[in-house]
Amino acid sequence: MVKFLFPTLMLHIHADLTNYRLMTLITQSSGHRLMIAMINVHLTLKMAQWLDEQHLNPYMAQTPYLPHFVLLTCWLLPLMIISSQHHMATEPINRQRTYIMLLTSLQFFLILAFSATELIMFYLMFEATLLPTLMIITRWGNQAERLNAGMYFLFYTLASSLPLLVALLLLQNTTGTLSLLTLQYSNPLNLSTYADKLWWAGCLIAFLVKMPLYGAHLWLPKAHVEAPVAGSMILAAVLLKLGGYGMMRMILLVLEPLSKELSYPFIVFALWGVVMTGLICLRQTDLKSLIAYSSVSHMGLVVGGILVQTPWGFAGALILMIAHGLTSSALFCLANTNYERIHSRNILLARGLQMVLPLMTTWWFIASLANLALPPLPNLMGELMILTSLINWSPWTLALTGAGVLITASYSLYMFLMTQRGPLPTHLIALDPSHSREHLLMALHLLPLLLLIFKPHLIWGWVS
Amino acid sequence: MSPYILAILLFSLGLGTTITFSSTHWLLAWVGLEINTLAMLPLMAQNHHPRAVEAATKYFLIQASGAAVLLFAGVINAWLTGQWDIHQAAHPLPIAIITLALSLKLGLAPLHSWLPEVFQGLNLTTNLILATWQKLAPLALMLQIQPPHSSLLIFLGLMSTLGGGWGGLNQTQLRKILAYSSTAQLGWMILVVQFSPSLTTLAILVYVVTTSATFLTLKLNKATNINMLAISWAKAPALMALTPLVLLSLAGLPPMTGFMPKWLILQELSKQGLPATATITALTALLSLYYYLRLTYAMTLTMFPNNITSTPPWRLPSAQLTLPLAILALAAISLLPLTPAAMALVAL
Repeated sequence: MVKFLFPTLMLHIHADLTNYRLMTLITQSSGHRLMIAMINVHLTLKMAQWLDEQHLNPYMAQTPYLPHFVLLTCWLLPLMIISSQHHMATEPINRQRTYIMLLTSLQFFLILAFSATELIMFYLMFEATLLPTLMIITRWGNQAERLNAGMYFLFYTLASSLPLLVALLLLQNTTGTLSLLTLQYSNPLNLSTYADKLWWAGCLIAFLVKMPLYGAHLWLPKAHVEAPVAGSMILAAVLLKLGGYGMMRMILLVLEPLSKELSYPFIVFALWGVVMTGLICLRQTDLKSLIAYSSVSHMGLVVGGILVQTPWGFAGALILMIAHGLTSSALFCLANTNYERIHSRNILLARGLQMVLPLMTTWWFIASLANLALPPLPNLMGELMILTSLINWSPWTLALTGAGVLITASYSLYMFLMTQRGPLPTHLIALDPSHSREHLLMALHLLPLLLLIFKPHLIWGWVS
Repeated sequence: MSPYILAILLFSLGLGTTITFSSTHWLLAWVGLEINTLAMLPLMAQNHHPRAVEAATKYFLIQASGAAVLLFAGVINAWLTGQWDIHQAAHPLPIAIITLALSLKLGLAPLHSWLPEVFQGLNLTTNLILATWQKLAPLALMLQIQPPHSSLLIFLGLMSTLGGGWGGLNQTQLRKILAYSSTAQLGWMILVVQFSPSLTTLAILVYVVTTSATFLTLKLNKATNINMLAISWAKAPALMALTPLVLLSLAGLPPMTGFMPKWLILQELSKQGLPATATITALTALLSLYYYLRLTYAMTLTMFPNNITSTPPWRLPSAQLTLPLAILALAAISLLPLTPAAMALVAL
């Protein structure tokens, strides 16, 4: 743990002491972060040998599926810095430093959240990530609506997670411990009353709002649309996964006996959300909003996969979360490259870009195909496993998930065709050519995605 | 004001609170509270502004009637039980009256409506004394009495967190917002006073630190409403980057110090079998969070991306010492990891 935490903390000092030039700052900071990520990759590969066995590994005192989230965090944070270079270029140096420090503390809190072995520590860090994210959205966003978006973000999350705190404290009173390592050995809870059902809901709803579940998702598109590119990336790629990670942890450890019946309404909402948000995507003109709603739709599948509580469901959810983390982050970066050239998020204003930025079209193509889960990408593997476990749970879910898959494919293609194909509108003159920075960014997003399918063993956690 | 008189007033302010702290006799406790009030009044009215005099009058009336009711209840207690000892007050009637009298003095909802009015009339230094030191004596008495009606204290606590949150929502005056914030914070302390008095001590300690940092920041910027706060980032940019954290610490957002008492209070409440109360209290904190967040927005999060073209406010060098502010702000932001040490400090 200290191997990542210490270098991450040092990034604060680095941002403060480094040379008075943006390029130096950004290159060094992201390079440093990538090195942290590399230590992480090394450890994860090393841990692969322990993956088959369900016991704790000696590196992080954790169950097998955790390093993925830490790795995802460490991988995406340098990419966030690279992607916001254009956004930061006009700012005074002190604000650039503050911005990088903000991202550093976000990385620090996220690593601590994913590697916490106490539930209360996890809760603290879960909440602690709110603050840097809020600042990224409201301080560094562009439009005036960002203030509303920040309010929505903070209040949705807090209103659902304060009951979680009380629920955790109650759990501590009952079992005497909140340690993730020992909690599984405590006596199974005797949950039968209405109060216990409320407690169950309290434990889960915070994560469902964070995911977000359809019905409690309104904060997400707002936050995504208003946040700068780094904010959108971290929200879609890591913060939503915090919800999924928390759900897996809570369900496996303590919620087991009640979840069988009580999760019905949530599964229904999640699957209904897959279809509904997909339909919303189909009529979307705002590029970032489209990607945000597509996140909600994918997360609906993840919620379904987790809540049916089979090993396949969990593995599928895990794979889909990792794959979606890379894909949605890549899509937000691509949307941002458009935004930096056109200065609008509107799809109708930036059409036919293949003519001017042909290499970017390749990235758009791969990212769109990943979003619609084309074989052989890991997105497909995740979706298939979730679909299979859902069908096993009830064959009727096929109607919703099948429609969902179809709609996902349609809007991903709609997004790709609208932005890239067709004639170039006449108002698009004097566009910047694509920078190698942007190509590096996209390669660092999509290469891991392509490579992961060669060793899916790394990300599927339980099934072996 | 002549420094001699100021010194006498400040000493009396300390003396009154100390007498109340160290008394075991109701009469002496009352004497301490009265000395405290009387020393505070000239401090409030020292700059002869009508608004300040009005605030001092209001403060006098409220505190005097609170103290009178307290004395009255002490006498009834002596009448019913035959002794004046604070610790042995066992009869439910006088204790209920005393609880209400003390909550009037503290400004707990539903007896809090005087607090914003008084705050609004005073300057920020006096407000700081009013929000911190003046709360100590009544709270010390509250800690010592044996509460008979647990539901009364829980009612007062819930009403305060709710009323303190609700009242501040539509305010643009910083002093009023901080008055409502004080009510809400005291509500948390009162909720837990019957279960764990030492936790109340910890909570008031943290509240004093965070609210002092806030008041000193406002004083440095001479800001008394949101609009003035919004243009004061030019005066002290680094401070204005830290102040949102102090405010959110006051709101009790992890990972800042302000989360520590909230966390422990919720833990104590759930340990006492009051999870519903704990949940409702936690959710009422969101109401307060809204106005702290609005201040944060006005102060830092809506800054211009580049240099502004309008005229910035006139910057006079402030004579205020910045060291206390620096220490308090740091303590208000970063003490959460020291929670175990803090718990040991108040012997939890």
